[in-house]
Amino acid sequence: MSGIDDLLAVTGFETDEHHPHIVIDPVACRTCPSDRACVTSCPAQRYVWDEATQQMSFDHVGCLECGNCRLVCDRLFTGADGYSWNYPVRGAGVDYRQG
Amino acid sequence: MDEDVFDAIVVGGGFAGLSAAYRLATAGRSVLLIERGSTCGAKNLTGGRIYSYALRALLGERWHEAPVQREVKREVLALLTETDAVSVESTLTSADQESYTVLARPLLAWLADQAEEAGAMIVTGTTVDSLIVRDGRVRGVRADGDELEARVVIDCEGINPLLLEREGLIRRLDPHAVAVGAKYVYRFGSAREVDRIFGVRPGEGTAVLGMGAVTHGVFGGVFCYANTDSVSLGLVLDSAEWKASGRPILDTAEALREHPALGRYVDGGELIEYGAHLVYEGGYDTLPAFSGDGWLVCGDAAGLCLNRGFTIRGMDYAVLSGIAAADTVIEATQAGDALPSAQALTAYGTRLEQSMLRDFRTTRGAHDWMSSTIDLFTVYPQLAVDAMAALYHVGPEPLTPVGTTLWRAARQVKKPVRTARTLLKGVRTL
Ligand SMILES: Cc1cc2nc3c(=O)[nH]c(=O)nc-3n(C[C@H](O)[C@H](O)[C@H](O)COP(=O)(O)OP(=O)(O)OC[C@H]3O[C@@H](n4cnc5c(N)ncnc54)[C@H](O)[C@@H]3O)c2cc1C
Ligand code: SF4
Ligand code: SF4
Repeated sequence: MSGIDDLLAVTGFETDEHHPHIVIDPVACRTCPSDRACVTSCPAQRYVWDEATQQMSFDHVGCLECGNCRLVCDRLFTGADGYSWNYPVRGAGVDYRQG
Repeated sequence: MDEDVFDAIVVGGGFAGLSAAYRLATAGRSVLLIERGSTCGAKNLTGGRIYSYALRALLGERWHEAPVQREVKREVLALLTETDAVSVESTLTSADQESYTVLARPLLAWLADQAEEAGAMIVTGTTVDSLIVRDGRVRGVRADGDELEARVVIDCEGINPLLLEREGLIRRLDPHAVAVGAKYVYRFGSAREVDRIFGVRPGEGTAVLGMGAVTHGVFGGVFCYANTDSVSLGLVLDSAEWKASGRPILDTAEALREHPALGRYVDGGELIEYGAHLVYEGGYDTLPAFSGDGWLVCGDAAGLCLNRGFTIRGMDYAVLSGIAAADTVIEATQAGDALPSAQALTAYGTRLEQSMLRDFRTTRGAHDWMSSTIDLFTVYPQLAVDAMAALYHVGPEPLTPVGTTLWRAARQVKKPVRTARTLLKGVRTL
């Protein structure tokens, strides 16, 4: 088995480090109403919960733009304060060569 | 009409959008297609196998030039437990439905070329930010700080219809109506190698569909397709049920490659892509309105995809809905410079009712039935594996009659009456 980094390393990306298309509030995630489903439901493992610091971290680089986190996270879906889900702009993001 | 008003603006250059744009351009309509990917195909992911009647409907016999992978000549249906499998294989010479394995990127890039040659304007690398709505009518789109106007907007934005949601023009996407798919593509040194792995004659295609314990009791399935010199392997899981299961999706996807019945198809290949995409599986009763004032919606955005576990059909319906939308707009814009009325655009819904929606009505409730019939994904695969194992078992003890062996395995099905009733219902809905 390989880790997610190995998997994403073979997939094409036009990375835009500075403009996250998905935004969450890592502190507000402490009171998650959605069972922290983002962690288990993201096929690219972009959400990591740190039990020690009680912090969520999210990395938009490597996101496959599937939309599953938007569906399983109520705050992302409804666009609650500090949460938004958009597609990247100007061709940034995943760039499938096979599809 | 204003010179800078297009007859139609199409949002999204997937199967639906490109089909609509091609058809409109061929009929001489001015059409602008906007795609957020760096090229058409860059953001798209499918299983995939396409039923070629749809490409023929769009392109006529010229569809043979399309870069598809292999014609499917061999079907394998695998019942899987965590570690074992029993497969049914068919090589039907009289298959009444021609289908081909495909990779989305090359096929969509080619379709985009066809649409452009026919006269469609295609702008890539541009994300539409919002629809322009004036006096309750969709008048165009905003993208990159520009406003672009059209007599009709054809929304082909795919499974996450953000633009329509933002304007309140479509129902809220229900996680119970959606599955999440993850897919690996492995490249091999030559097409011959792929022939050998699948045990087929040169160039023949294989489609492997699997159901069972690999999805941990959740409605879904796994797929494996032989492409020209690569192999696609992936799985599809109901999004809401998966969330409830609390398991990490990536671990489950990774386990596929370790499964003896599936891993053998990709052993020795070089991993060249990993991707993920949602699949619509809500069925007839969850479909939205197909048009409104100044707009139409096609393909995945309209929920026009059927997931029956052992088959997914979305590409063919995307193509056909794109054609139906274009034909409606062609008719409605015949009258010169007027903006087509919302009433005129309802002809699109009628076209769908008379064609593909028949399939959706036939399978009404199929998804509910399958996902509430957990036995399908757990008990039956185990039963099949146990029966095969017992039949082929040879040991020092005296032989057991075949009938006894099978009966022992079958008895493990709990509640046989309930099972019979469930099966009957399933046969009706499928
Ligand atoms: C894992 C998996 C397996 C599948 N297997 C099969 C199969 O074997 N057979 C089959 O027939 N179907 C299969 N499907 C379904 C099929 O792939 C889809 O139904 C089909 O691709 C939908 O086409 P579409 O054009 O509607 O959407 P898409 O192909 O998703 O196209 C939507 C396009 O819109 C663009 N877009 C979105 N928003 C914007 C915006 N704001 N501005 C500009 N552009 C935008 C996107 O970049 C994208 O190119 C499968 C799907 C998955 C995920
Ligand atoms: S599901 Fe949403 S609110 Fe909950 S932890 Fe994840 S991102 Fe935060
Ligand atoms: S869109 Fe998909 S890949 Fe991207 S963060 Fe959300 S679940 Fe993960």
